[in-house]
Amino acid sequence: MDMELTDEQRLLVDAVEALGERWRTMPAGHERDYAYFDADLQAALTDGGFLRAGLDMGMLEAALVAIEISRLPVVTSVGASALVAPPLLGEVPDGPVAILSTDWSKGQRLLPVAGHALAARDGRALLIDLAGVEVAPVDSIYAYPYGRLAAEPDWAAARDVGDAARLTQWARVAIACEMAGAAQAAVDVAVDHVKQRFAFGRAIGSYQAVQHRLAQCHQIARAMRFLALYAAWSGDAGAADIAATYAQDHVGKLAFDLHQFSGGMGVTCEYHLHFFTYRLRALQAEWGGADGAAMSTYARLWGAAA
Amino acid sequence: MDFAWTDAQQAYRSRVKTALDELLPDDWDSHYAPQGYGSAAQIDFSRDFCPKLAERGLLVRHWPAEWGGESADPWEQFILAEEMKWRGEPRGPQYMNVNWLGPTLMKHGTPAQQAEHLGRIARGEVIWCQGYSEPGAGTDLAALQTRAEPQGDVYIVNGQKIWTSYSRKADFCFLLARTGQGRKDISIFLVPMDSPGIEVKPFPGLVGEGHLNEVFFTDVEVPATARVGEEGKAWDIITYALSFERVGIPRYHVGRKLLDKAIAQLEREGRGDDPVIKARVGRIVAKFEAARLLTYVVVDQRAKGAGPSVDANISRITASDACTDLTNFLVEYLPDCLTTGDPILREFHRGNIAATIAAGTYELQLNLIARGALDLPRGN
Repeated sequence: MDMELTDEQRLLVDAVEALGERWRTMPAGHERDYAYFDADLQAALTDGGFLRAGLDMGMLEAALVAIEISRLPVVTSVGASALVAPPLLGEVPDGPVAILSTDWSKGQRLLPVAGHALAARDGRALLIDLAGVEVAPVDSIYAYPYGRLAAEPDWAAARDVGDAARLTQWARVAIACEMAGAAQAAVDVAVDHVKQRFAFGRAIGSYQAVQHRLAQCHQIARAMRFLALYAAWSGDAGAADIAATYAQDHVGKLAFDLHQFSGGMGVTCEYHLHFFTYRLRALQAEWGGADGAAMSTYARLWGAAA
Repeated sequence: MDFAWTDAQQAYRSRVKTALDELLPDDWDSHYAPQGYGSAAQIDFSRDFCPKLAERGLLVRHWPAEWGGESADPWEQFILAEEMKWRGEPRGPQYMNVNWLGPTLMKHGTPAQQAEHLGRIARGEVIWCQGYSEPGAGTDLAALQTRAEPQGDVYIVNGQKIWTSYSRKADFCFLLARTGQGRKDISIFLVPMDSPGIEVKPFPGLVGEGHLNEVFFTDVEVPATARVGEEGKAWDIITYALSFERVGIPRYHVGRKLLDKAIAQLEREGRGDDPVIKARVGRIVAKFEAARLLTYVVVDQRAKGAGPSVDANISRITASDACTDLTNFLVEYLPDCLTTGDPILREFHRGNIAATIAAGTYELQLNLIARGALDLPRGN
């Protein structure tokens, strides 16, 4: 048991951080967007081989990449590309990857930019080539681009890539990793704000009522990180359920507290908190949400009656 | 980063489990464990059990060879603690001795103190209590008023301690007393509990047997040679000891066992299919696993020789959250846990009322995280 990064893992994280430096602030013209998918960052991750970390190094390393990239305000398909595609496909598809929810007719995260989509249907995981598939953009304050399929996918033409349970497992790991990165970034934004913002003659971060809840938010983000990393390392479906449960269970507190501490600024688009809190919100209900993953945990530990 | 246990660690865990299976009596689970590790029955039992554990080289394996150990790393200490906790802590209060009292004496005690106390602790022969809290000084420990006045080569101690778990049965007290006028002019003394002038009065409360006592010190004569460290310089030593206490008890490790019991009862009562219960339980499991991993972060730091860090506070509140959620679940869904239900669940509930307060309240932990991890400014 070693809870610290190895030298090789540290080099990987440092490299991802260096790559992401350009995207720590929003690209010009997109500062006030609800969400911005950055094709340049997606390409840089691909070209740098970072999305292949799971294939070349291990799934723990893929999780480290996903967590670090998720601390940036722009979005990519790092979760699906680095953590879901490799174990299911044995490769990383060209271009961004979306993961469809069970109801294809609803708004789907990343669908407007994706070249491929993974979906669960009748107990199987399917890979859908989106070339030529009509997608209508959907307006949302979620911090990912959303789109809707104009028509039901041609399921028969999709490629069977294995058991749907494996898609569920790795989708939950991806959720947990993206949430861990976004949660830490959201806490960082709020901490920075409460140190600079004064009220009643004091930095609001000096008030204990603020400090205690921020300390809890920090603890939550740290727990999310280690649960996500463990789930990726272990390749255990139960650990994936637990990581997703914990992350999804705590979004409500993070979103409320961190916006609360940000006051009126927190409801504007120019303040970047929403890029992280509304990424958390977008992921909060995916794959059954906290209750779905929690019931899966129950079934695993105490019988299939769940 | 690598979450795998080594072969040696797995073998060690098996060895500990085997020892527990062989050393615990048949009525351990039904008779002793439900009474709690502060109970007279368990404390008396520990006087028999710990020497046997010591004979097998399992009591202080993490101590240096000089003091009877094998210099095993902190991971083995925690594996041992997890397995002991799983069975209801048959070491009784002696978990304190081996986890932080002994190591504190190794680091800060005089050779004479080490010679007098460490051997007995390593052999499992002695019960200690901690004379920390007072009626006016709990989490704000530096507010304590018990005084130790130097008089020649002795100190005269007067004052009152409160809570003071295990003091009725203890042989020695690890006593904090004020030796100067400054807020942190505090010293530590190793005081035999049979010293003239010490009176222990138990009082009733919500937590389990043995934990709530008042200890009165009236003109208690303590040799100056029983002082640990320099006079009035105990604060760093206390901080050192408290950092071990905050993650010294692996409460996360009993979550699954307690849930096993709760769910077995719910199944017997025909409530095993309730999806609300299932979702609630799954969320609690996730919190216990979070506590486990964040505690391992601290253990890993210790194994690498790092000093106390804010991760101990983070681990502490994560475990408190998990235990509190379980406590709430038990009372909501199995209210008979405090009446006619499973006594193990009752003891957990009762113990957890105080577990989030001992070694510094939940709020104190948050203060320390706010400063240590987030660097938030102090208030006026």
